[in-house]
Amino acid sequence: MWAMIVKEFRQLKRDRRTLAMLVVLPVLLLVIFGYAAKFEVSNIPTIVVGPQAEQVASQLQGPFQVVEVDPGAGKSFVESRLRDGKAVVGLVTGQRPLLALMDGTQLFAAQAAEGAFAHMARAAEASGVTPPAVTVQILFDPKLMSSWIMIPGLTGLILLFIGTLITSLGIVRERQSGTIEQLAVMPFRPWDVIFGKIVPYLLLASLDLTVIVGVGMLLFGVPFVGSVATFGLGALLFLLVTLGMGVLISTVSQNQGQAIQLAIMFVVPQVLMSGLIFPISSMAEAVRWIAYVLPLSWYIEISRGVMLKDTPVAALWEPLVVLAGMAVVVLGLAMLRFRRDLAPSARHGRVTAAQPEPVSP
Amino acid sequence: MAVLAETRGVAKHFGALSAVDSVDLAVSSGEVVGLLGSNGAGKTTLIRLLLGLLRPSGGETLLFGALPSMSTRRRVGYVPQTLGLYDDMTVQENWTFTAAAFGSARPALPESVRGSKDELVGSLPLGLQRRVAFAVAFSHNPELLVLDEPTSGVGPLSRARLWQDIRDSAEHGTGVLVSTHNMEEAEQCDRLVVMVDGRVAAEGAVADVIGSRTVVQVTCDDWRRAFAVLDADGLVVQVQGELLRVPGSPRQVEDLLAGHDLPAAVATVPANLEEAFVSVVSRGPRP
Repeated sequence: MWAMIVKEFRQLKRDRRTLAMLVVLPVLLLVIFGYAAKFEVSNIPTIVVGPQAEQVASQLQGPFQVVEVDPGAGKSFVESRLRDGKAVVGLVTGQRPLLALMDGTQLFAAQAAEGAFAHMARAAEASGVTPPAVTVQILFDPKLMSSWIMIPGLTGLILLFIGTLITSLGIVRERQSGTIEQLAVMPFRPWDVIFGKIVPYLLLASLDLTVIVGVGMLLFGVPFVGSVATFGLGALLFLLVTLGMGVLISTVSQNQGQAIQLAIMFVVPQVLMSGLIFPISSMAEAVRWIAYVLPLSWYIEISRGVMLKDTPVAALWEPLVVLAGMAVVVLGLAMLRFRRDLAPSARHGRVTAAQPEPVSP
Repeated sequence: MAVLAETRGVAKHFGALSAVDSVDLAVSSGEVVGLLGSNGAGKTTLIRLLLGLLRPSGGETLLFGALPSMSTRRRVGYVPQTLGLYDDMTVQENWTFTAAAFGSARPALPESVRGSKDELVGSLPLGLQRRVAFAVAFSHNPELLVLDEPTSGVGPLSRARLWQDIRDSAEHGTGVLVSTHNMEEAEQCDRLVVMVDGRVAAEGAVADVIGSRTVVQVTCDDWRRAFAVLDADGLVVQVQGELLRVPGSPRQVEDLLAGHDLPAAVATVPANLEEAFVSVVSRGPRP
């Protein structure tokens, strides 16, 4: 048995990627997720409209963070801003009771806002002041059903899984079995091979997406109130990013085990830091930026916006452009690396001077 | 005969290791050129350079007079050591995929593998898998066949069939480059290029590679003990029936055996290819 133990440690010592996963990654993840994994919401973006907007805004305290005050606007303006994701709470003044509109898709923020209103009322009563009457109206997810929030995000998680893990495994399997060498000799252009590999997964993921959304609507009553085309565009861009990541992972993995390791490293942070479970606004500022470099964060903004709030495409330009940019960068890198694997001589032509390369045979 | 594939002073270095160094090679139509060498001699690297799968560190490789490219590789049939077949697809599916990739007009499966057309390639015996790989590589009527140890791990019958196919292809004008470390196979080639440590150590027809090399043939009643004595002296001994063949001078061998009370008859005979190969490898690459 001792010999087995020693052998395992020897192999582990040489397998630096696994060693990093075992030692460095847990510490790194603990530190990052420790700051990111919070349900408490300390800042609730709030807009105040109506004749007394300035006065009410000046009286609001934390967690409400006033981001916009417009005395000339009314309820429909607030609904529009909430739909576009510009604020979570909108107070409409000039009526009794005061109307507080909340974005129900921001589950924890809406719950925190409800709690904050109750706390403010109790505090006013305790100091002998009559608290202002507030009527709360929750939009988009009136019953604050967590399944309504989770399912649009889960569609992204499934696309992420198919796009990254399944694609990378498919390509690495070609490398391991030696068929990729045969592909390189066949009259395929590199992009024929890349797109030939990813298009089936793209179609399968699209089918999966349709099924998941359908099941979510049928079983959990999740609404789909927005544009199918906008949702499809967001999903397509997100899929292209994840498929590109899958190809990239495959180009730096020699076997399926390595591909799985890397895919896990790519997927796990997205589960915990994309806003799927923990609100991005609750994350410590030092790690919040990580959420914005994760494609799932942007996809969730689109899927929740379209499915639950009918957010128009114009209001989603930012996540759509970010995902498009990510798709171009990731797919471009994947193409370059994959092309190098498939046709190394095509770019270089003949070589006349000796050029040693630090690669093992 | 038109030259189909050519390397001119091609080299490939992996760090400090020279896998291939200054190799000149040409394969013409209708000839079978054998790349003969031990494991690690650089045969596979040279093939991968020729096909453009590796970037040369020096020199150049030409396929049909041009740098390896998609259009030149279209005219090549290639069977890598790993066979390049999809284990989880049937013979017919592999065949159809390759035909589609090369834009071939859906040729019929060859008779030799038709019986297994609906079987998964991974479930076939290795000999049949290699036969399928060869058939697939030939499906688009390539002008050049590149075969990397095509008979490795197969039985004598399958090997004979594969070589029959190779010879048939060459007779129809296909140029064949085949790597091997099997002497019987090497003897079936029109021309051999013997590689040692990444360089060409000898080349030419089998007779040219053997040249005027001779070995000592030993006839001894106690041939088993004679073998042990010669082997213990560091000689490379081949056994043919009850005859022993060793490099060296007859006198030296005779004296060595006599020193162990082993009377033997010795004679100088022409070396065979294997003995010549051992001699070439022992001498190392050409300067």
